[in-house]
Amino acid sequence: MPGKWDWLKDEMGGVSKITKFSTVMKFLKGRVSGPDDMTKCAMCPNMCRHACPISIVDGKETTSPAGKSRVGMMVDHDVLPMDEENLYPMLMCLSCGCCERWCPFDFSVSDILRAEKEKGVEEGVIFEEFQEMFDNLGNYGLVQGEIKKKKSYPNQGDVLYLRGCEFRGDDEKVIGKTMGAFEKLGLDAFVLSDEECCGIPAYNAGNTQLFKKLARKMAKRINDSGAEKVITSCPSCAYAYRKLYPEFGLDIDVEVLHIVEYLEQKKDILGKKKGTVTFHDPCKLVNGLENKKGMKDVLEKIGLNVKVPRRSGEKTFCCGYGGSTVCRLNEYLSSKISEERLDELSSLSDKIITSCPTCKKAFEENGNLKVYDIGELLYELL
Amino acid sequence: MVPEEFEKKRNAGKVNRVIDKITRLLGCDKISTRKVDLLSYSHDYWPISLHWMLEDRYPSLPHAVIWPESKKDVKEVVKWCYKGNVPIYPYGGGSGVLGATVPERGGVVVDLKRIRSLKIHDKDLLVEAGSGLNGYYLEDELNDKGYTMGNIPQSLYPSTVGGWVSTKALGQFSTKYGGIEDMLKGIEMVIPPGGELCLKPHARTSTGPDLRKLFLGSEGALGIMTKGWFKIWPKPEKRIKLSFASDTLEDAVESVRKVMREGAEPAVIRIYDKIETKRHFYDYDEIFGKVATVMVIEGNEKITQAEKKIVKEEFIGTEMGGKPVDHWLETRFNVKEAAEFVPMGVVFDTIEVAVNWSKAMDLYRNVVDAIKPIKGVLFASAHASHFYPQGICFYFTFAGTTPRKKDAEEFYQQVWKAAMEAVLDSGGTISHHHGIGRQRRDWMEQELGEAYSTLKAIKERLDKKRIMNPGNMGL
Repeated sequence: MPGKWDWLKDEMGGVSKITKFSTVMKFLKGRVSGPDDMTKCAMCPNMCRHACPISIVDGKETTSPAGKSRVGMMVDHDVLPMDEENLYPMLMCLSCGCCERWCPFDFSVSDILRAEKEKGVEEGVIFEEFQEMFDNLGNYGLVQGEIKKKKSYPNQGDVLYLRGCEFRGDDEKVIGKTMGAFEKLGLDAFVLSDEECCGIPAYNAGNTQLFKKLARKMAKRINDSGAEKVITSCPSCAYAYRKLYPEFGLDIDVEVLHIVEYLEQKKDILGKKKGTVTFHDPCKLVNGLENKKGMKDVLEKIGLNVKVPRRSGEKTFCCGYGGSTVCRLNEYLSSKISEERLDELSSLSDKIITSCPTCKKAFEENGNLKVYDIGELLYELL
Repeated sequence: MVPEEFEKKRNAGKVNRVIDKITRLLGCDKISTRKVDLLSYSHDYWPISLHWMLEDRYPSLPHAVIWPESKKDVKEVVKWCYKGNVPIYPYGGGSGVLGATVPERGGVVVDLKRIRSLKIHDKDLLVEAGSGLNGYYLEDELNDKGYTMGNIPQSLYPSTVGGWVSTKALGQFSTKYGGIEDMLKGIEMVIPPGGELCLKPHARTSTGPDLRKLFLGSEGALGIMTKGWFKIWPKPEKRIKLSFASDTLEDAVESVRKVMREGAEPAVIRIYDKIETKRHFYDYDEIFGKVATVMVIEGNEKITQAEKKIVKEEFIGTEMGGKPVDHWLETRFNVKEAAEFVPMGVVFDTIEVAVNWSKAMDLYRNVVDAIKPIKGVLFASAHASHFYPQGICFYFTFAGTTPRKKDAEEFYQQVWKAAMEAVLDSGGTISHHHGIGRQRRDWMEQELGEAYSTLKAIKERLDKKRIMNPGNMGL
């Protein structure tokens, strides 16, 4: 069977040698790798624009997926200086990974621009809006800083429930209900009293040193906990523990699952109550953890009548608060994206289910509907 | 071209004052003069402007970029720019390949992507869409509700509805659903010096010359589209996939001519010459070395069966089943080759033209023969991508590396000149669906003859100060 580039080698066979000829030939023979990833992304006509919530709602070329890489290229080539004005467009990324599904190179723009974001932090280009987060993470290990009101839960058991910063800081009652749901499901769940942030907000903002510091702490605490299994409410936390930590040489010794993944594994979880709901698939569940089906099957398994939004599963659309940077640098845009998503969801049902603390927060702050985390929904249905 | 004096007058004019005025009227969030934004809007997907970017050259910078959110915003922009003699470059998805949005004379780029309303009129089978609405967003929403517009260009993901109308675009399924000119039923425009007009979406109207057609393909030279009404179809109930391997391009082209003459209208037909067959179907042993044709027939069950029968009766070639069609469907949006090769110094582009059946094969041979001998060209090939009872669209692809002592742009233009002259000499038209932009403007006079003067007169009447996309299409 002919190879991918045989047709071109055949055509080039009859061409007299010219400038760049040997470079092209070497590329065709696999001897050189071709342009770097950021350049390839920059040279694309934005074939993932339709999937990028920033691009759809804000509409700017500068912050379109390929547009961000072009800005990165301009900074890299010293056409533009590395400063706040030029780093800003590169941080207008929700880290949702929605671009990756449509990219022929399987690029995620968030990853493509990682080196530029890190360079920004290294060179001291740190936005005031990030400083508080970095300080809180550095001093208290939590995005919100010190949490004064702490409810106590069991600190020993079989299944370690990692609550995540968002619920611990802003929505403590969901934790109680999720623990209640675990009990109803027969799980011996416990929490870490010294649980800290997984580090992903720092990672998203380019502060990799801070991320590594937090990751080392949390990896040790999880591995020392004696748990047989870890379940998280936040898909970003599960993504960090399962996918990112090993990239930095930090392995978690036990299975880490997001709550939807755990429920997928359960055979029988039929709820006592019925009802019609719609749902929002968190991008980190679908794209980060590669759970392409999202929440639909789990909700149907519980016995609910599920209205499926146009943008679900692989085609999900970020809540607007993803990625830690946009919601801090441009609250207005984050809210507009949330509203866009809420318009779609509220046209299907007045009961919206999600499985990410950040998504829940985004929708509750930008709409009037009650948004349920799957943990609290389970508690009420079981 | 605008005379130098006219340019000087413009540059000495009130650009900054106009920008200040628009900033006060629209608010800071809708306008930017930041360098990073100006650089980001200095190009579209014209290979020349990509080449500039790779070489860190930015010769065409606007003074400001504006993101209007309503027709009212657009009217203010046009009104104040017209008063201040400031050029306006309407901008959609930036996926145009001919430089139609390159702000070569400074001024303001008006990006319409925030104007993205969408309303389906079920009983009338119409969709009402803001000009900045993303193409995929529109089609996906229509599909979700049980319809299709049938306009699926390769740029579906990045492009906008306004861009489709401005360039008189069409999509891969055009042989059944037509081009954007067949879909556009009504249009809302903002025109200089800041007025508006609306041509309503009647099923048909006999009320003088069809002014909708005046704005179709006007590439921002006559005004800014803010909304359009488009024909939609119920989602097809049946899809049939067919493919053939023919010994010669002539066999395949002649087969499709007969199919069209019989009245069958497969939504998709693509005929690949031998080079492109090898390029796209290298892992299909039985097709490699032949001429591949892929077809998609869709619509009503009974009609599709009748169309399939006609195709099978008329086609000269071996039937290859549905797999090559699936391969085409899976790879049709893949544009990675440009991103891989262009940064390595490969000069690469596509040129789409149309010709009537009687001259089709001559045009194909003449264009390939004109491009191939140029020093530096690695290959020249084509596929036929859109079909009509009267003729065919050939979509040529060339790639090359710049010969020594030659500049890449010079080499690129040499190939284009050879191709355009071959097309005109062969009785074809220089553009089928990409439009004119800045790349093709030098051949407009030859293409249109006296009609070009009429187009210029219309431009003069509607936009006396020539602020709307000046220089584009040579206007």
